[in-house]
Amino acid sequence: MLKNDISNRSPRNLLFLFEILSLSLVFLYDWGSVDRATYITAIGLVIIIYLSNFILNKISKGDSYIFLIVTMLVSIGVIMVYRIDSQLGMKQLLWLSLGILIFYLTYFVLKFIRGWKNWIPLYLGLSYLLFFLTFLLGKRKYGAINWITIGGHSFQPAEITKILLIFIIAAYYSNPEKFSKYKYAPYYIMGIVYSFIALLFLQRDLGTALIFYAIFLAIQFIYEDRRILILYNIILFAAGGILGYVVFDHVKIRVLTWIDPWSYIDNKGYQITQSLFAIASGGFFGTGLGLGHPEFIPLSYTDFIFSAICEEMGLFTGIGVIMLFMILVYRGFKIALNQTHKFYRILALGVSILFGIQSIIILGGVLKVLPLTGITLPFVSYGGTSILSSFIALGILQVASEDIDTREEAE
Amino acid sequence: MNSEHRRIVLVLIALCIVFTGLIGYMSYFQAFKAEAIKMNSYNKRLWINEENILRGSILDRNGKILVYSEKHDETMRRYYKYGSLYSHIIGYSYREYGKAGLELSFNNYLLNINDNSALDELINIVAPRTIGNNLELTIDHGTQERARNLLKGRKGSVVAMNPKTGEVYAMVSLPDFDVSTLRDDWGIISEDPNSPLLNRATQGLYTPGSVFKVITTAAILNTPGINQEYLCKGTTTIDGYPFKDYQNKAHGELNLKNALAYSCNTYFTEKALAVGENKLRETAEGFMFNNNIPFDLPVKSSSYPKGNIGDTDLAASGIGQGKVLTTPLNMAMVASAIANNGEVVKPILVNQVVSSTGKLVKSFNTETLSQGIDSMKAAEIKEMMIEVVKKGTGKNSSIKNVQVAGKTGTAENPSGKSHAWFIGFAPAEDPKIAIAVVLEEDGSTGGSSAAPIARDLIIYGLNNIKF
Repeated sequence: MLKNDISNRSPRNLLFLFEILSLSLVFLYDWGSVDRATYITAIGLVIIIYLSNFILNKISKGDSYIFLIVTMLVSIGVIMVYRIDSQLGMKQLLWLSLGILIFYLTYFVLKFIRGWKNWIPLYLGLSYLLFFLTFLLGKRKYGAINWITIGGHSFQPAEITKILLIFIIAAYYSNPEKFSKYKYAPYYIMGIVYSFIALLFLQRDLGTALIFYAIFLAIQFIYEDRRILILYNIILFAAGGILGYVVFDHVKIRVLTWIDPWSYIDNKGYQITQSLFAIASGGFFGTGLGLGHPEFIPLSYTDFIFSAICEEMGLFTGIGVIMLFMILVYRGFKIALNQTHKFYRILALGVSILFGIQSIIILGGVLKVLPLTGITLPFVSYGGTSILSSFIALGILQVASEDIDTREEAE
Repeated sequence: MNSEHRRIVLVLIALCIVFTGLIGYMSYFQAFKAEAIKMNSYNKRLWINEENILRGSILDRNGKILVYSEKHDETMRRYYKYGSLYSHIIGYSYREYGKAGLELSFNNYLLNINDNSALDELINIVAPRTIGNNLELTIDHGTQERARNLLKGRKGSVVAMNPKTGEVYAMVSLPDFDVSTLRDDWGIISEDPNSPLLNRATQGLYTPGSVFKVITTAAILNTPGINQEYLCKGTTTIDGYPFKDYQNKAHGELNLKNALAYSCNTYFTEKALAVGENKLRETAEGFMFNNNIPFDLPVKSSSYPKGNIGDTDLAASGIGQGKVLTTPLNMAMVASAIANNGEVVKPILVNQVVSSTGKLVKSFNTETLSQGIDSMKAAEIKEMMIEVVKKGTGKNSSIKNVQVAGKTGTAENPSGKSHAWFIGFAPAEDPKIAIAVVLEEDGSTGGSSAAPIARDLIIYGLNNIKF
């Protein structure tokens, strides 16, 4: 405990310093319109992050770095969102505070309630219910029907289904004795995952579909004893992808604008080329906070937040963000390797792969390394559901980093 | 390590490789691709300044406005008053087609911005600039207009400059294009096989032909102990390859002065061999061949063949044929160097940059680029070039009361009819204007077609330019 506290103190203070400095820059940029609400926002950010890092160390005996890494990412995100749109920045701070609360809530709920690995039907039911609600109440936003609005707040159900998927997969692979009596069990689980992917495809939420697939494939690769299934999985997905390309125009457009966005620069390739302009304009050190023009990028506060960061904070901050994700994923895998309880081990893997794949897909997208699919950069992009679900996932990882009492639930 | 752990580590490694790949690609993108992408005209960052800043005017040496901008309900309009007259000097600035000419190379001055540094942006936030700087050119509008009229109907280029200061008085390249209607004609202009977009004065590479003999003459003077006498029989054979004089005319007994005056090919081929490959190349390089000429517009380097060339090529180089290529601007600089005691000065097109309130922002002074030849020998060559005009091939450039010094050229062109050349300067005793004229694939001799153009322009220039 004591050792933990010492090793954690210095990065915590560095983070504190980073926030103070970058917030001063934001104020300098926005000198005329700095009002009381802004000060409160800023002080709020610093205090929330400092305190929650401090408190977590007292409560949890587990990994003390993942939360620190995430708060660094969140700080960069909030500052960037605030700089793009101060209204959104303040809202994002509210979401962040809520996210941290949810993090602690997840942590305690997961820690003190047992039997999570036995409730597959519940997760399945919830997942399909969320899909059903999306189709029933869904609104088309940026080409995808993945938002529903409840009481004035829009909400993205797939963000929650992501977590449920990890629970389903973890529960399945941690109960081999329970499922091995069914000959076709591995096919059922594959069928379930593919039904999710197909539903997401119908909602035109390709990015999330890709995340689902990647999480499933990775865990299947690690735990599936019938190795031939992995091959089936890959072939099936490739066939589905090709079919999607041929049948659906919106898939074709994404691929075409990925290969050559410059030919479609004033219509379909507009977003990605604006993103490349922003990154190119930033250079190695960036234009400086408030001195670039991220407002030229559509959705610069959500999907394209990374381009905005690169423009104003430079390539080196961009690399820093990627490395933070890399360390986060590394810590997640390390937690999994140290976890003796299989269910929690798979949960930790699922969450780490989720963080890794989701950031890779959107980072690759805005850099034009991968076709662009509209998903958020976890912890950095603006967006309530994204922040909340990411903090739930982080809460899961925090629990998984602790010693789980395995006596009552022996493997 | 059991198989589960091994696989977990494999997945982790795969993810880390992808992350590292992203970092690598980003660095590559920033280092090698960003610059080109940034300059794409769809990048609004490039134009954000243009929309708020009134682009500066461009004036000639007498303060005559050539190009200006006006603001019409929040949008800026640029007026090119003289259509095609300055298409290759001033160029154009259109959002759709980008920028060219001085509009490109002096863009930041015209908009009054400094290289887009962060500090600059900061200053811009505190006190936004709204008016750009004006450019005062060295061009004399009247001379420019006259030069274009003299060349009208032909392909080619005229460059007139001050041999001592490097100020360019006129620079014409034909065919040209109308900048004011560029938006409507872009398709036709950009696909015209005569390439009107090409500035022949600075980027057209021509075989110089006999005008290059001025440089060969310099090389001969630079070679001690060379026999300057020669008996011309109208033809000579070098390494089995025959070199002929114009219309196979034998000039008889010749010294260097007469050889230049009558532009004797056999003389200069034989003497090029005597001078040797290195000496001739070094002399040519002293006159900026194989060198970048710093200028306000992009310039192609003239080329003189490097490395071991055979006797035939060396002999051909001596009369400006073979692989020797040059630009009209460079040849005007050669004439200037002879007029200016052998010193090659940097040509300048923009005299000074002045702010909208009349404050001097930057002025450009005369710079010496190279000593082409020492001043004594330059004076000797000048005498010979006077002889060219007095009694040789350049008679058509002679002017009453003013002594012109010059050299004609009729350059054989492997891909078409010959180019007609004239280079020269006047008045010989105190040179004020140096000139290069090239008529592309004209088929005529330099003495008959290019020399009269030079003469008329020199007369106009000496009478009208405020030196």
